[in-house]
Amino acid sequence: MIEVKNVSKEFVSPKKYPGLKGAIKGLFSNEKVAKVAVDDISFSIAKGEIVGYIGSNGAGKSTTIKMMTGILTPTRGECLVDGINPSKSRKKNAQNIGVVFGQRTQLWWDLPLSESYTILKEIYDIPDDLYASQMEFLNNVLELRDFFDKPVRTLSLGQRMRADLGAALLHNPKVLYLDEPTIGLDLVVKDNIRKAIKEINEKYQTTVILTTHDIGDIEELCSRIIIIDEGKKIYDGTLDHLKDTYGSKRKVVMEVKNTEAVKALDLVGALHISEENSNEACFTAELDEAKNLFTITFDKHRLQAPQILSAVMEVTEVTDIKLQETELAEIVKEIYHHGTTTGTAEAGGGN
Amino acid sequence: MGKLIRTYLPFAANELKSQLAYRGAFYIWAFISLFGSFISYFLWMAIYGNSESGMIGGLSKNEMVVYIFMVYVTSSMVSIAISTWVGYDVVEGRVAMNLIKPIDYRASLIARALGNMIYRLLVPGIFIWIGLELYKVFVLGMAPVSVTTLLAYLLSVLMSFLIYVLFDFCFGMVAFFTTYIFGLRMAKSALLSFLTGQLIPISLFPLWAQEVFEFLPFSSMVYTPVMVYLGKYAGSELAWALGKQVIWVVLLYVLGSIIWKQVTKRLVVLGG
Repeated sequence: MIEVKNVSKEFVSPKKYPGLKGAIKGLFSNEKVAKVAVDDISFSIAKGEIVGYIGSNGAGKSTTIKMMTGILTPTRGECLVDGINPSKSRKKNAQNIGVVFGQRTQLWWDLPLSESYTILKEIYDIPDDLYASQMEFLNNVLELRDFFDKPVRTLSLGQRMRADLGAALLHNPKVLYLDEPTIGLDLVVKDNIRKAIKEINEKYQTTVILTTHDIGDIEELCSRIIIIDEGKKIYDGTLDHLKDTYGSKRKVVMEVKNTEAVKALDLVGALHISEENSNEACFTAELDEAKNLFTITFDKHRLQAPQILSAVMEVTEVTDIKLQETELAEIVKEIYHHGTTTGTAEAGGGN
Repeated sequence: MGKLIRTYLPFAANELKSQLAYRGAFYIWAFISLFGSFISYFLWMAIYGNSESGMIGGLSKNEMVVYIFMVYVTSSMVSIAISTWVGYDVVEGRVAMNLIKPIDYRASLIARALGNMIYRLLVPGIFIWIGLELYKVFVLGMAPVSVTTLLAYLLSVLMSFLIYVLFDFCFGMVAFFTTYIFGLRMAKSALLSFLTGQLIPISLFPLWAQEVFEFLPFSSMVYTPVMVYLGKYAGSELAWALGKQVIWVVLLYVLGSIIWKQVTKRLVVLGG
C-alpha cells in the first residue's frame, strides 16, 4: 500500500548570526545551512496494517508523514501511496488519504460541525447514500451526535478530536495518517479514539500510520512499529520482537517478613547459576530494609520468577509480591538515549 | 465544470455565512471607509469651487461626485485581500490542512473571496449605489445610468475582482518566504490606493504617468470599471478597456500558477 524508498528531506535556511551585528551581517551573507530532517528512510506497509511511527521530538516523524501526504516534496527518493506519487499528484493522492494532525484542525472554525462535513462531502465528491451510511457508522463509533450542530470553536478538545477523526474518515480513505491523535486527551476519550481506530481498521481494512508519544496508543493499536531517531530508521519490526530484544529484564518485588534472613541468603547458590553464565550478572538484588521490600531485577531468558520466589520463601515468609515486565516506555526511552549506537541492529519480522 | 462549482461553491457560501457572523466588524469598516469618501467629496467640491474651467482631469463636478462614490462601491467589492488569509494560513500552519484535501488552494481562496464580494455587493454596495443614483437624478439633474452601461460595469467589476485577487494571491506568496507580511501589506495598500485611481482619478496624473499606469494591472482594478460606469469609454475604447482586463486576468493567472508551483516545491510547513 505504501512504499517509501530512500527518502531524504533537507531544509535549507539562511545562516543566522547572533546579535545586532550578526543581523546586519546576515543581510549580506549568502551562507546557507542545511538541516537533514529525514535521512534515507525506506519501508513498505501492507494494506490493513496499523503501524506506529515513533521517535523523540524532532526526530522527523511529522516530516515523513508530510511527505507521504504530499505536503512536502522529498529532497531525494520517492514515496508511493497506492501507486500514486503524492508530491507529483497531490490532489489524486488526497482523494485516497485521510489525515489527522492532533494539534491542528481541518474543520472550519466558525461553522457548525455539520456544515464542515457538508463541505467535505462536496470536496471529496461523496455520493449521498455513501455519505449517509458512513455518517451513521461514524456516529456510532465516535458519538458525534451530541455536538453535531455546534460551531467547531465551541467544542472541547476531545470532541474536536473525534470530529476531526470523523472528518478524515468521511470519504473512507484507504490510508489514514494520524499525527498524535490522542495528544492532550483524557483517558476515557483516548480509549474511545483508540477503539474507533481499531473498528475502522477492522471494518474497512484501512491502513493506519500513527505517530505518537503515548505508549498506550502503540500497545493497544500497533502490531508493528517503526522507530526513527535523528532522521534515521533505527527499528522496524513487531512490538513483541522489540520487547524481546530490548526488554528482556523483569522485576520482582517482594515484601518480606525477615530482612536479616534475606541478607544472609546466597542467591547465586540457591538459584544454581552455573559458572559460565555468571560472568555477566543475570540478576541484581536490592533490599529496602525500612519498607521490608526485596527487589530483584532479572533476565527473563535465564531465570524464572518462581525460581527466585521459592528461593526466597525458603528463608523467610513473603507477604506480598509484584511482578513487573519492563515497560515499553522504558525500552523506547532506552532506544532514544542510545538510539544509533545500540539500536541499529535491524530487527527482522517486519512485514 | 459542474463538479468545479459544486466543490468550490461551499467555500463561497461559507464565507458569506462567516461574514454574517462578524457583522459588527464589517459595519465599522464600511462606516470608516464611507467617511473617507465624504472627506474626499468635500475636498473635491472645494477644489471645483475654485476652479475656473469646471473640468478637472476630464471630469465635471457632477461626474466627480459619481466617481468618488462609485470608487467606494467598486473598491469595497473588488479589493478582497486574500493575501491576508494566506498570511494567516502560513503563520498558523493551516496551509498544510488545505494541501491534504483534493482541492486547489488558490481556487478555494478565490471562491471564498467571491462569497465576500457578494456580501459587499449586497451591503453596502447596492444601498450606496441606489442612494447615489437618486442623488444624481433628483439633485444633480443627471440622467440615470443606462442598462447597457450598468451591464458593462458589472462585467468590468467581475474582471477587476479577478485581477485583484489573482494579483493579491501572487503577493500573498511572499508570506511563504518571509512568513510575516503585515508591514508589506500596509505598503501595498498605500501604493494601490494611488495606482488604482482610488485616491485621485488617473486622468489627473501627467500624461507620461498615465501611460505608465496603462501598462500596469492596477488601473484595471478600480479605475476602469468606474470610468465604464461614467460612460467615458465608447465603442472600441470600451472593448479595449475590457480586453485589457481579460489579458490581465490571464497573465496573472499564469503567473500565480508558476509561483505556486515553485512555492509548493520548496514549501516549509511551520510547526508540527
